[in-house]
Amino acid sequence: VKALLPTLCATTLALCAAASAPARADGSAPHTVNAPHYGDTLFHFFQDRYFSGITGLMVSQHFGRVAPHDDEAEVLRGGMLLSFGMHPQATEVFERLIEHKAAPAVQDRAWFFLARIRHQRGLLAQAQDALARIAAPLTGSLEEDRQLLLAQVLMDQQDFAGAATVLDSFKGMKGSTDASQFARFNLGVAWVKTGQAERGIALLEAVGQAPAANEVQRSLRDRANVALGFVALQGKKPLEARAALQRVRLASTQANKALLGFGWAATELNDPQLAIAPWAELVRRPVQDAAVLEAHIALPYAMSEIGAYSRALVGYEHAVTVFEQERSALQGAMSAIHSGALVQSLLAHNPGEAGLGAQARIEELPELPYAAQLAPLLAGHEFQENTRHLRDLQFVAANLAQWQASLGSFEDMLANRRAAFEQRLPAVRQASGAVDLPALQQRRDTLAAEWLAAETSQDPAAFADSRELTLQARLTRAQAALKSTLKAALETAPAAAPQTEDTSPDASDNADRLRRVQGALLWQQAQQLPARAWRVKKALRDTDQALANARERDAALLQAQQEEPARHARFAARIGALQARLQALLPQVALLDTAARQQLQHIAVTELQGQQERLDVYAAQARLAMAQIQDRSQVAQRATPARPTGNGARP
Amino acid sequence: VAASAPALAPAALDTRVQDLKAEVMRLNRDLLVLEEELLFPAGTQVAVFVSMDVGKMFELESVQILLDDKVVSQHLYTPLEVQALHRGGVQRLFVGNLRAGSHAIDAFFTGRGPHERDYKRGTTLKFDKGTEPRYIELRIKDSLARLQPEFEVKVWQ
Repeated sequence: VKALLPTLCATTLALCAAASAPARADGSAPHTVNAPHYGDTLFHFFQDRYFSGITGLMVSQHFGRVAPHDDEAEVLRGGMLLSFGMHPQATEVFERLIEHKAAPAVQDRAWFFLARIRHQRGLLAQAQDALARIAAPLTGSLEEDRQLLLAQVLMDQQDFAGAATVLDSFKGMKGSTDASQFARFNLGVAWVKTGQAERGIALLEAVGQAPAANEVQRSLRDRANVALGFVALQGKKPLEARAALQRVRLASTQANKALLGFGWAATELNDPQLAIAPWAELVRRPVQDAAVLEAHIALPYAMSEIGAYSRALVGYEHAVTVFEQERSALQGAMSAIHSGALVQSLLAHNPGEAGLGAQARIEELPELPYAAQLAPLLAGHEFQENTRHLRDLQFVAANLAQWQASLGSFEDMLANRRAAFEQRLPAVRQASGAVDLPALQQRRDTLAAEWLAAETSQDPAAFADSRELTLQARLTRAQAALKSTLKAALETAPAAAPQTEDTSPDASDNADRLRRVQGALLWQQAQQLPARAWRVKKALRDTDQALANARERDAALLQAQQEEPARHARFAARIGALQARLQALLPQVALLDTAARQQLQHIAVTELQGQQERLDVYAAQARLAMAQIQDRSQVAQRATPARPTGNGARP
Repeated sequence: VAASAPALAPAALDTRVQDLKAEVMRLNRDLLVLEEELLFPAGTQVAVFVSMDVGKMFELESVQILLDDKVVSQHLYTPLEVQALHRGGVQRLFVGNLRAGSHAIDAFFTGRGPHERDYKRGTTLKFDKGTEPRYIELRIKDSLARLQPEFEVKVWQ
């Protein structure tokens, strides 16, 4: 069975994870982001920048700023880890969500992703168990993915009837998605391989003749028709085989196989002449394809079948030459691989800066001397996986190098801050010492006591303002002056008529005026007393606040003086520890990079050696066929009696 | 040419690469936390975000942010970034430091408005910065009543 579905699932994994996130431009229900940092993760996620998305999310989770989206964020993180192929880490995330009794919808999604991980690791029963724990239909496209995954799990457990029942649920849907078509194709092939050919053929016929909405579906349709063709050939049904293979597009990636099978169907019909056209077309195509290689010996075979021995002989000779040339090219390609040219070109063509897992599949090779011979490698899962490892390691190396430079900057920055702090500290200490806070507090307490006494005794003069104090002073001076004038007058006046306030009209008048002024002043102050007492009380409160602030600042300054060096030391220790962790990773990256390069070269060389072996087999077959034709020709010549001529016998 | 044997079995290599990636992610988290605490301490941190609610009436091209009349950020959007905003992403456009007290933020959005016309609008907000980090979101909305885009500023508490 072609394992198409898992591949498709891997590529659509990101979309599955997206179901946990809002999507509005596509017309789905609005979803409010209630934490900007969670939205920032989505911003990276929607641009396929998973590495920055995941690390940014981990930072926001550290600072506790993704609430109330904590569970959603974890599902998203798990999905992104899964897309990096980090199964154990993703499993941990999803299992924790289930253990912590997240919301039912979140738990359902977690079970779905766990099922996917278990399926990818070959734990089929556990995957089925996880799928069975999903309580309610999943949101969006995830529900269809769940059904498809269930069908695939059942298929992998040889429960084809169960898988068919699941897939039947898609029949009612309007249109067929790529994934459901893939699932039908896989089920059809599985049925054929397990002896239920009739049911398999019916399913493959349905896929092979279904209307295709896009290139993926057209390509799958071609595959189904090729499969049908070869099933029919195996069942000795050449007419059915030709009918199916005729439906394959000539420009399709399946066209070579279809042309080859089309020719074999003709030979099955005992009409080798019919096989010549498709095989002649095939031998004009690049020889790296297995079907083309086979066509190189199939075409002369058809020639010999129609009795064109000399053309067949030429065809076989040409095939041997082609095989030898190709063998030599493969040898060159292997040398190039050993020299590291393949890996270098791959990395240069697909740089790892884009992030972990970026451009998950390599669809085309860079320009290389033996690119045609290496092209079949692209179809190999192992090759793709190792290339991905290598690119990831390149990305990791670049990431660590970047942080190494940043850590150096952090160290410099910290050193500058420490120097600036030590430089400014004496001035700050001096400035803070210039203000005597206890003395200020004492002054405030004295004033508060005066205020309390004045308010208790209701003494209006205690709250006199500066104007009134001036007036009071003038009044006191005037009263003293009046007394002094009267005293002087008493000393100089005759004893019989002493001058007093009562007897001197001027003095009496002045004294009255002064009393009135004094009375007016006291009356005014008495009127103002409540307001003034309140203002003083408020001013005392403000003073208390200002003194508290000053004490707080003083304490903060004192604390900073004591703690800042410790804070700097803590930062320095953290930088040192992180630097050590980073340094410890560098040799690991280098080691794994070397191992991945060797692994990739090993896979490539093994593949090319396999191609060489196939060529050797085909070349041997061609030589054998040539020998047979030559034998047949010699036998025919011996059997034919010599016709007498005037010039003697012809060779 | 004989195929050279790999140094590590494929499964071992895969596991070790995955473990390494996990450790690198943890290291990146710790480094980013350190960077934030060192460069943008909570007491002075201010971050500006851009989001889009529907956004059918405005095709965003660029944003300019001024904090206290100083340009702190200018950003030209790629189609992929605009798409990410449409899908519900929130972009952290700027992160910096501000003293405690009153501040003003001005944001200017440039793009295409209704009927494909060039559109430039500004929005402003005065806000107080205390001792906690301050997160400000600039939200582009559609006003269905006025058939015009609207630009809101929200300060997250």
